Amino acid sequence: MKESPYWNPRHETMPRDQIEALQLRKLKNLVGWAEAKVPWQAKRLKAAGVSPDSIKSLKDLRRIPMMTRDEWMQAQLERPPYGPLLAAPEEAAIRYHLTSGTTGRIPLQVLDSMKDWEWIAEMWCYGFWGFGVRPADVVFFAFSYGTFVGFWGAHYASEKIGCLVLPGGNMTTEARVKQIMTMKATVVCSTPTYALRMAQEAKTMGVDLAAGPVKRLILSGEPAGSIPATKRLIQDEWGAKAADTAGMTEVGTIMIFECANQPGGTHIIEDHYIEEVVDPETGEPVGYGELGERLITSFGRGFIPVLRYRTRDLVVRVPANSCSCGRTFDLYEGGIQGRVDDMKLVRGTNVYPRAVESIVREFKEIDEFRIHLYTVQGRQDEIEVLVEIPSNDGAECDRICAALAKGLAEAHEGLRFGVQKVESGSLPRFELKAKRLQDDRIVIGTAGERRVTA
Amino acid sequence: MKNTMGVELSSSERTLVECYQSLVRLLKESQELAPFERRNALKAVAALWQVVNGLDLDPGNLYDIGA
Repeated sequence: MKESPYWNPRHETMPRDQIEALQLRKLKNLVGWAEAKVPWQAKRLKAAGVSPDSIKSLKDLRRIPMMTRDEWMQAQLERPPYGPLLAAPEEAAIRYHLTSGTTGRIPLQVLDSMKDWEWIAEMWCYGFWGFGVRPADVVFFAFSYGTFVGFWGAHYASEKIGCLVLPGGNMTTEARVKQIMTMKATVVCSTPTYALRMAQEAKTMGVDLAAGPVKRLILSGEPAGSIPATKRLIQDEWGAKAADTAGMTEVGTIMIFECANQPGGTHIIEDHYIEEVVDPETGEPVGYGELGERLITSFGRGFIPVLRYRTRDLVVRVPANSCSCGRTFDLYEGGIQGRVDDMKLVRGTNVYPRAVESIVREFKEIDEFRIHLYTVQGRQDEIEVLVEIPSNDGAECDRICAALAKGLAEAHEGLRFGVQKVESGSLPRFELKAKRLQDDRIVIGTAGERRVTA
Repeated sequence: MKNTMGVELSSSERTLVECYQSLVRLLKESQELAPFERRNALKAVAALWQVVNGLDLDPGNLYDIGA
């Protein structure tokens, strides 16, 4: 029997009317589940006059209220640690993960059951299989294996497919490059930034990655995997094909993946999600080819039903026939193209300036501050916070800087923040809308953030 | 056996579905399973749920049995 290029051939090649029928059925089930098991959701649905029976077509989806990250965070604050969003008892969970919050030190926290966790891997299987990963592959993960969900699902997807998995947590970049070469890894998973960092390290070590065993790179955590110049650079340095994917902790896994045809966009896994694209100001749907904000409704994780969640990601949806792979799943041209809000992605971690500010403000000794993003040696994104501390007591200033760096890292999944004291009065002051973030990064980042130096 | 989309399942697909259904039934009804039996059966059910879901049989959720 000829091997299928699709993970789920029936669904991935379903005619549009059947995809929509499938989504409608799953939507009714999801609304029924949320209504029955999550009073917080039931109240919202009731207020909007939505019940499973009232959903007659996908157009009825628009009657369901949008859910925001701020609402989620607020619900968590009111009933810690998870908020009133769980559809099952905490004891049914086998996994806990988090992502940095929009404000302060409180992260967004989620739980998954055994079945949900398996589903999370299942979504990655669509991407891995679709990009050509097969049981004979040896997959290296340049991933820290912490509470950030990141590539966890991808790890288990690789096992499910039957690959040999090399879990590259807690290793130096040099050790990772060595292991990739000695173990003959054929697939490498990392953020785009770190793929470039490893390539740089390989050069220092005298290792020719392009002549090595790696045939595919699976990128996630940053939009750069779909920025043509960055992707080209990664592919050239590794001598391998690179595919973009994107996921989020709120659904636990990826929603979109690039197939082996590399069409310059990412397919939406439409049998497990409904993705809408709307005008971020009005909430009205925008058409194919128009930039808008993506909303997600997820059918997979029953533990925390997600209906019309505002992602704040900017995307351009194009029809499935924009790609010649045969899938009937629509695509996002150029992957995630930017953000509606001011969130920055730094080495795969979400950083909200207001969350940084709230931690800085815990230190009354700090008069003024600036968040500075920059790129080291043209490749690695760094983040530092410049602070003005009037005190002349060097030891005290060092203590404050160290405590701030620790607090920031703890609130951001261990992301390393530099904290540097600068001369008092050297940072700008603001009377109205303060702009305390300066982004000097090159190449890496969303298209709008790119500052390519000559 | 047809799925919710009206598609007739193949013989292999039917076998997988029946296997899933048997395991779920067993996990709900049997109080006598040893830990190694119950926990491994749950792992198997969590994996087979993906098959049944992918075959459009609307398997619902399994939190009540611990998966």
